[in-house]
Amino acid sequence: MYSIRNKLNYTIMASMILVLSLTALFLYSRVAGHVEHVFDGALFDKAHALISLTELDEEGLEFDFAEEGVMLEFEEGDNLQYYQLWEHGEELLIKSPSLGEQDLPKIGTELGQHQFADLPLVDGRAGRLIEINFMPRVEDEDEEDEEDEEDEEGEEGWELEIPPPKPITMVYARERESLDDTLFVIGLTIFGVIVVVLLLSGFLIWKMVGSGLSPLSNLAKQVSQIDESRLDARLRHAGAQSIEIAPIENQVNHLLERLQSAFEREKRFSANVAHELRTPLSELRTLTEVAQIVPDDREQVDQFFIDVRDISAQMEKIVVTLLELARSEAGLLSSDPEDIELSKYCDEVWHQAVNGQTTCKRLFKDIPQDLVINTDREKLGMILTNLFVNAISYSPQDAEIQIASAIRNDTVVLEVKNASMDLKPEDILHMKDRFWRKQKARGTLGHSGLGLTLVDALAKIMKLDVSLQLDNQQIFMVRISGLNSSLQR
Amino acid sequence: MKLLLVEDSERLQRSLSTGLKKNGFAVDQAFDGEQALSYIAINQYDAIILDLMLPKIDGLTVLSKLRSEGKDCHVLILSANDQTEDRVRGLDLGADDYLVKPFAFDELVSRLRALNRRRSGVKNPVIEIDGIKVDSVARQVLFDDKQISLTPHEYQLLEFLARRRGRVFSHDQLIDQLYDAGSYVTRNAVEAHVSALRKRLNSAGAPKLVQTRRGFGYLIE
Repeated sequence: MYSIRNKLNYTIMASMILVLSLTALFLYSRVAGHVEHVFDGALFDKAHALISLTELDEEGLEFDFAEEGVMLEFEEGDNLQYYQLWEHGEELLIKSPSLGEQDLPKIGTELGQHQFADLPLVDGRAGRLIEINFMPRVEDEDEEDEEDEEDEEGEEGWELEIPPPKPITMVYARERESLDDTLFVIGLTIFGVIVVVLLLSGFLIWKMVGSGLSPLSNLAKQVSQIDESRLDARLRHAGAQSIEIAPIENQVNHLLERLQSAFEREKRFSANVAHELRTPLSELRTLTEVAQIVPDDREQVDQFFIDVRDISAQMEKIVVTLLELARSEAGLLSSDPEDIELSKYCDEVWHQAVNGQTTCKRLFKDIPQDLVINTDREKLGMILTNLFVNAISYSPQDAEIQIASAIRNDTVVLEVKNASMDLKPEDILHMKDRFWRKQKARGTLGHSGLGLTLVDALAKIMKLDVSLQLDNQQIFMVRISGLNSSLQR
Repeated sequence: MKLLLVEDSERLQRSLSTGLKKNGFAVDQAFDGEQALSYIAINQYDAIILDLMLPKIDGLTVLSKLRSEGKDCHVLILSANDQTEDRVRGLDLGADDYLVKPFAFDELVSRLRALNRRRSGVKNPVIEIDGIKVDSVARQVLFDDKQISLTPHEYQLLEFLARRRGRVFSHDQLIDQLYDAGSYVTRNAVEAHVSALRKRLNSAGAPKLVQTRRGFGYLIE
């Protein structure tokens, strides 16, 4: 298990470190490159200044910059600079006094080209050099004439020619510590800014992620407090709802509702089963205990035996119905259709239903004699038996019980109707519930409130639809639709 | 001890009333809440055995109605509902005891006797008056540690008066206590029981316990 908050924090921070480091490196390389370029540009300019002060005349090469006191940076001071020139890259022409006995290194540059390189200076500091290979400037004719005239006035009969120029290699070097210092400051500044930005970002990310995930934390806290004893609890939120959390919260709440409903249904079911079995058990126990008190009262004892038989039958009915329901819910029951002559079969079931009952109620059939349906005989029998027994038990004395069939949408619809005594429209909603009875008391009818539940469960297996209706005349009707008709004979 | 048994199961009614009568209780039977209330309105009961799920008017409504009318008879709820909230609700509405079905018949009888003792204010199940011991658990009467044989009605009469020493009860009150509502009993029957009881106590050498207040009834002083 991991923390989303920590993962988000670490991921965002790692991403930020990577992005900011790359940015810093890019920035540093760009700035450092530019600063170095400027530094090298200064080296180049200075080298060209020295080149411009190099001239070839009749007397040979002249290095005006080398004159004493012209460029003090090559002679003395704390910030000494260096130069050295070679003719043809081999013959030393001149070098700065600052070099003393030392020489500057040569790189080897083509004529007209230049190169930069780092080097340790003779005084031990880090330095940078530029090497340029060039042709010296030759003194021009005007300048030569003027000088000739001066010479003629001073010296007579001498006329010298300017030797042909030869390529000169010049190396100019200076310390680069100022450049390194600048680069260090730039690097330090960028690194420092990045570190500060990262620290600040880390703090802000921690707070923002925490704040952003607070609805989730709140949700987790609420969910963790829900157990089987608190299924009535619902997830709630303060303030505006987020579109990410809302569906989770709604779904969890719906799930809780369903869970609570299922728990309550199970609890009610257990209580109902216990209640339905407790009463006959209580009757059995009391009968046997009292029978022991009055063993000589033959009449009482005989009646007790009859009662024990009836109670056993009633308990058996409850247990069998519950088992049928359990099997149907577990998918262990299947439909085994066969052709049934509906009218004849209704008569058979009716006779079984009224068998042993003292009823003067009659069944009125409106079913064509030749109507044959194709369905599960046994299950249809159980359905009709339950409906007939209910109709007999819960209709007024001398009431008519009707059963009629009709063909609708190529299927047979079967309707069982009877006048009801005390049903109300709102009762219809609960009549298929397990153990629902209009009168909560068990009474003497022996109904456990499972009949219509079983009818509904069996109908589902047979792919039939069972609907209940109560009209204004208090006529209660059970409609079974979806029965398949076979070819009419 | 006179009881009203309110239970919608005919079979349970039949067996319970037989057993209770055999144990010396006078039992009236009601099969629904409405019938129970009409019995309560015209009879005095020491205790009512009340089922909760009753036709017409449920048991809790019967209980709250009789309490609101100031009836102080003991009520023992006999129900298949075993949830704590059901018991709490019943006891809070004024029931004195709650027994969950299925139950042992002997336990029911013992609880009814306990309620009867509570009603008379005598907690000891054995009442002793002038050397005569009335054991309400064993349903025996002893004098000098010798058992005096009594019929159920004689025993009931003796226990009833012994528990209410000093109070005079008329013939009708005693008939109410000794017989259920369906029984047809005359004043002579009470006089016969009193006379027989006196004889049995006298033959055992016990003092004369049951006194007559002419024009009023009988008492034990």
